Amino acid sequence: MSSVDTPPVVGGRTIALLGNPNVGKTTLFNKLVGLRAKTSNFPGTTQEARHAYYDGSVLIDLPGIYSLNLDMSESEVCRQTLRGDLAPLGVKPDVPDAILVVIDATNLMRNLTIVAEAIDQRLPMVVAVNMMDAAKRRGIGIDLERLSECLGCTVVGCSAKTGDGVDKLMDAIHHATIPNRSAPTDLDAIEAWSDDIYSLVAAARETPINDRLTDRLDRAFTHPLLGVLTFAIIMTGLFWVIFKLAAIPMDLIDAWFGTFGGWVGGMLPEGPISGLLVDGIIAGVGGTVIFLPQIVLLFFLLALLEGTGYLARAAFVIDRVLRPFGLSGHAFVPLLSSHACAIPGIMAARAVPDPKDRLATILVAPFMSCTARIPVYVLLTVILFPESPAMQAVAFTSCYVIGVVAALFSSFLVRRTLLKGPSRPMAMELPSYRLPDLKAAFLLTYDRAMMFLRKAGTLIVAISIVLWWLGAYPHAATPQESIDLREQAIVSSDADTIESLESQADMIEARHASARSFLGQIGGTIQPVFEPLGYDRQLTIGVLASFAAREVFVSTMAVQVVGTDDTEDDSVLASIANAQRDDGTPVFTRATSWSLLVYYILAMLCLPTVVVTAKEAGGWRWAWLQLGWMTLLAYSGALIVYQAVSLLS
Amino acid sequence: MLNIPDQPNLDHASAGVESNESIPLSRLARGQSGRVRIQGTTSEVKMLRAMGLRPNASVTMCRFGEPCIVSLSGACGGGCRIGLAKEIAGRVMVDPDSPING
Repeated sequence: MSSVDTPPVVGGRTIALLGNPNVGKTTLFNKLVGLRAKTSNFPGTTQEARHAYYDGSVLIDLPGIYSLNLDMSESEVCRQTLRGDLAPLGVKPDVPDAILVVIDATNLMRNLTIVAEAIDQRLPMVVAVNMMDAAKRRGIGIDLERLSECLGCTVVGCSAKTGDGVDKLMDAIHHATIPNRSAPTDLDAIEAWSDDIYSLVAAARETPINDRLTDRLDRAFTHPLLGVLTFAIIMTGLFWVIFKLAAIPMDLIDAWFGTFGGWVGGMLPEGPISGLLVDGIIAGVGGTVIFLPQIVLLFFLLALLEGTGYLARAAFVIDRVLRPFGLSGHAFVPLLSSHACAIPGIMAARAVPDPKDRLATILVAPFMSCTARIPVYVLLTVILFPESPAMQAVAFTSCYVIGVVAALFSSFLVRRTLLKGPSRPMAMELPSYRLPDLKAAFLLTYDRAMMFLRKAGTLIVAISIVLWWLGAYPHAATPQESIDLREQAIVSSDADTIESLESQADMIEARHASARSFLGQIGGTIQPVFEPLGYDRQLTIGVLASFAAREVFVSTMAVQVVGTDDTEDDSVLASIANAQRDDGTPVFTRATSWSLLVYYILAMLCLPTVVVTAKEAGGWRWAWLQLGWMTLLAYSGALIVYQAVSLLS
Repeated sequence: MLNIPDQPNLDHASAGVESNESIPLSRLARGQSGRVRIQGTTSEVKMLRAMGLRPNASVTMCRFGEPCIVSLSGACGGGCRIGLAKEIAGRVMVDPDSPING
């Protein structure tokens, strides 16, 4: 295994946290280590875990599992980690020095299965009985001393939420020993063993009573009509908040990168270094980082929502909608996240348990209208309906609907061909309703934001540089036309005339340079392919440049038709709308605009997503399939629309 | 050190009628409880057993239909609730404790 890049922990111990989902394992982990934790992948898998160096030890928060012996990748990762064959990136793979098994006091009987499996590892271990406070409230008493006798290891009662018993727990971990009793290994025997222990240690002082509130909420949230309605309201609210609130920091980031780019441009002499820094790196990173507020808000709100327990119910609601198309309710969070950006969406597909369901989710996620498409949607809907904001809104919403429909259709097809078979029916624990844990939501959001920024700092910088270079080189000789204009400007005395002549010259030079650049040459060569869709050379370059990031389309068009990418100015938008082709006819005819809109909804115009798909789906062939299929769908859709609208008008 | 109390009968203690026939979990009525009869080690069964739907576990139907919501704590609400697609609930057999109750 790769031990080259892992720091040696001098005298350090590895402690693995093991336990069922929803037992508060991560809350306990956060309580123990706080902000020190880092999220990283297990090499060669899509599973991730958080780990932290704490008090001379490294703590690994393993994925929550019901049993070590399930045919699921989470279980496999836990098995390998406990054997010492695997560790999250940044930790040396070694047999853990201790296992901390976290169990839920309110669900003791079921939780004993994983305790038995942990005892079987013959490693020093401590059992943390979490949620003692909740158990007390429900009238469940647990005899910890007797439990410790039965298991043959230290048992500590605690509450990760209030922090009770956490200090005692750390102390117990330092003195952990191998259990002096053994546990059965066969499933039937484990169940009998845990039933026996349960009856020895647990006393339900009161007869359990129906929790009417939980019951009513559950029935409402999973109701065929009411459930869907609640879902729609919550999701609309979520998106409203994300788009409304994020707009403020997004504008600030945009302005800051603009100012910063201008400042750097002013500091450096004009030339390739300034071009690379300002137009390549700063513009490219700025264009990506601008989506950070949306991503942060999305993950924060989703984490809060998940903390309440609602998301598990929503998954069942959406499962009914998705299953006929071969997707499961587990696909709901990935697809929802993809509306912000397909990259975190595809990464969230790790939570889909069935491999085929997961692949289908990854493949269709980029059809969701991500925020990078918004500037393009805005530009085109404004061009199409300049006089009617109402129609703009209808067209804008339709873009989202078309994306979702295309995703469902594609999933339907792929589940009947390459990924044959029905999606796995859902069986999922419904966690108790709780007030969300702000700290956990904050930590998760922080992790996701850092992951996104790291990506913006590496992959996206690289792509931006390549695209900038293709767009800037080779330098074209200054065209005669602009030389003439500049000469006229020199001899003119009227300031307005000078300005107008200079800007005309700038525009001609920019157009000339973009046509002569590698990107322009590629655009010219490829243009015939897009001819049937109604795109000229400039639009073709815009579409090609979008492959780095879709929102680049607007700035690319601006550069080409105006000679400046200052799209803030209304007149710039107007000049894009009124742009002319090389033959003098308008670029954005009705048919072309419709065709472009359809193309941008459906096409995979995002290199980073291709890379992430290859990584998460476990092979480049899936990425190529996705790219090919989306391009095919986009091309034929745009072709049909262009031809139809041309015929009608 | 502590007296071991008897497990209280978590299920409708007063309803004495016990059906001998196993029925699919999905056919339990709302509020009705039953004992799980599950066997085998297919990956789905192993998963359900690990989630707590193990042989002889007591389940209570909290929401009938699609999805089924069952509780393992002996009463609806609180405790351990599991949502199941009707398809899965139809494959898990239970011995109902009492006729329709609630």
